[in-house]
Amino acid sequence: MKKESLLPRVGLHAVLLALVVWSVTPFLWTLQTSIKFTRDVAAREPVLWGYETTANAYNAFWLDDEEINMWGVLAYILAFAVVALMIGYLGRRMRTSWPWNLGVIAVLAFAVWYFPRAFETSNEYEFFINSLIVTVLTVIISISIGLIAGYGLARYTGVSGAVILIVALAFRALPRSAFVLPYFFAAKELGLLDSRLIIVMSLVAVNQPFTIWMLRSFFMDVPKELEEAAMMDGATRFEAFRKVIVPVMWPGVIATSLFTMLLAYNEFLFVRVLAPTEWTLPVAIVSLTAGESSRTITEAAAASVSITLPIVIVIVLFQKHLVKGLGAGAVKG
Amino acid sequence: MNRRTFWAFTIPSVAVMLILMVFPLVTTIWLSLNRLLIRDLDNPEWVGLANYRETLNDAEFWSAVWFTLRFVAITVPINMVVGLGIALLLDRVGKRVRPVYLAALLLPFIVTPVVGTAMFKELFERGGLLSWLWTFVAEDAFAITDGNVQWLIFIHAVWYTMPFAMITFFAGLQTLPQDRVEAASIDGAGFWRSLWHVTIPHLRTLLLFVGLISVMDAYRVFDSVFVFAGTRFQSVESLQVYNFRVALDSNIGRIGKGNAIGILNVIGIFVVLIPFLYRSYKDQIAERT
Repeated sequence: MKKESLLPRVGLHAVLLALVVWSVTPFLWTLQTSIKFTRDVAAREPVLWGYETTANAYNAFWLDDEEINMWGVLAYILAFAVVALMIGYLGRRMRTSWPWNLGVIAVLAFAVWYFPRAFETSNEYEFFINSLIVTVLTVIISISIGLIAGYGLARYTGVSGAVILIVALAFRALPRSAFVLPYFFAAKELGLLDSRLIIVMSLVAVNQPFTIWMLRSFFMDVPKELEEAAMMDGATRFEAFRKVIVPVMWPGVIATSLFTMLLAYNEFLFVRVLAPTEWTLPVAIVSLTAGESSRTITEAAAASVSITLPIVIVIVLFQKHLVKGLGAGAVKG
Repeated sequence: MNRRTFWAFTIPSVAVMLILMVFPLVTTIWLSLNRLLIRDLDNPEWVGLANYRETLNDAEFWSAVWFTLRFVAITVPINMVVGLGIALLLDRVGKRVRPVYLAALLLPFIVTPVVGTAMFKELFERGGLLSWLWTFVAEDAFAITDGNVQWLIFIHAVWYTMPFAMITFFAGLQTLPQDRVEAASIDGAGFWRSLWHVTIPHLRTLLLFVGLISVMDAYRVFDSVFVFAGTRFQSVESLQVYNFRVALDSNIGRIGKGNAIGILNVIGIFVVLIPFLYRSYKDQIAERT
């Protein structure tokens, strides 16, 4: 091991810290805007320190009830988060973790479902629910059909496999506008406009090329001998796939699911065009930021912080998988 | 795996792509040959190539084309070079602090693009941090104008797309065989020489991949320009934003012309992509024999 001298090390961290500042400044600025009173936001010279904080903006975005004490809302969220974390943590110490993971999902789902019954929520909460449903459905459908296709593409050596991959790559390159107008037209004709179905289907479609490429590259890493041994023992191809291959594919499935999740959660254009009223969060937030008054600035900031928070959690929890996914998709692709 | 099993495994995915991508494409072509207004969707009127002729004679179309080309030409090379640079830096950082840097640097890439853009833009608006800091350099606070909005969009694009190149290169560097780097350094190769002769050849396919994806994504930029320029700055418009405005804006939206623009977009990207697609196809075939 070569020992590096102190000066280059300090320089290295200085450069990286500068890059971190460049990356996170917009987020920190938005965070401090979201907890200010409008009079401080409207000030010509930004009030950087010692301002009074308030949760009014969050209240205005999420709730219809002006009177509610936001500490209560915070307590509600924290209580469920702590319970979910504890169950998840317990699950990691057990031999079989999946019932515990299901428990985490159940607790979170209950928290989301019960929230409007505990507090008077605004329209935006509906959009949040839409975001959740669209994201979850897109991930489930996209990954299930992508998983078997990715496996087939990794193991088949015929030319049609290559053709499918290249056509998929070509689809990946197409601009959204080549799809969104026909979808809009078809949805209008079929009366599907404003339905979650059309949004989920369109997201699954545009995401499919990426999904099969990425999953395929993960399958390429799984040795063939694994399923061949199982098939020698009398399992069918599909049984071998389900019982032997899928269990070792979890890192790949998680990585691909994460990217699919981000795609669905972040989508703006499709929702904007295909859903005139049943928005998801990104469209709701853009409609806020279009306004220029200081009142909507704090509210938009609060909304932005709210939509970003789940993403931050995902990064912290699943960073390794994200990095791995990008590496896998690329190195052999 | 035999052919029948292969198709059994892939058919759901292929069917989804065929139904939901090929069918819309055919519809796009058909719609582009019709005059069709958004408030009167039931009465398409066949007009042949008139929509294309009109688009190609539209000054706004060409300004959108030039903006998009500038966007690609400026942001993609910066992303690649800076991304590789930061990946090399990250590679030298100890394993324990690395996740902290990675998390912070990844954030702009995975935040909802429209939201990230709005946050970034707010820094430059009146009362924003950078607008205010500008008063220490110049007389007045910074304001977004028709003249500078384009540069802000480029800077913002680097902010949110560069992490993709960075993280992919970083992942690639993890697979770089250490003995080759050490061999190079024993041979007396300095940093630049070992970068040029060892690291970059190792990342060759990766560079191509990132370049390809970056060009595709930059070419179809929508969210960031849509939010940044909004309705306030008509001087900047990417092809996608122009397409959106023509096709869907309020009740003068023209679906027919919008589809013609869509088809021209598709042709545009394929002119660039076909050599790459052909190469990938050759690679795929080679892999199979």
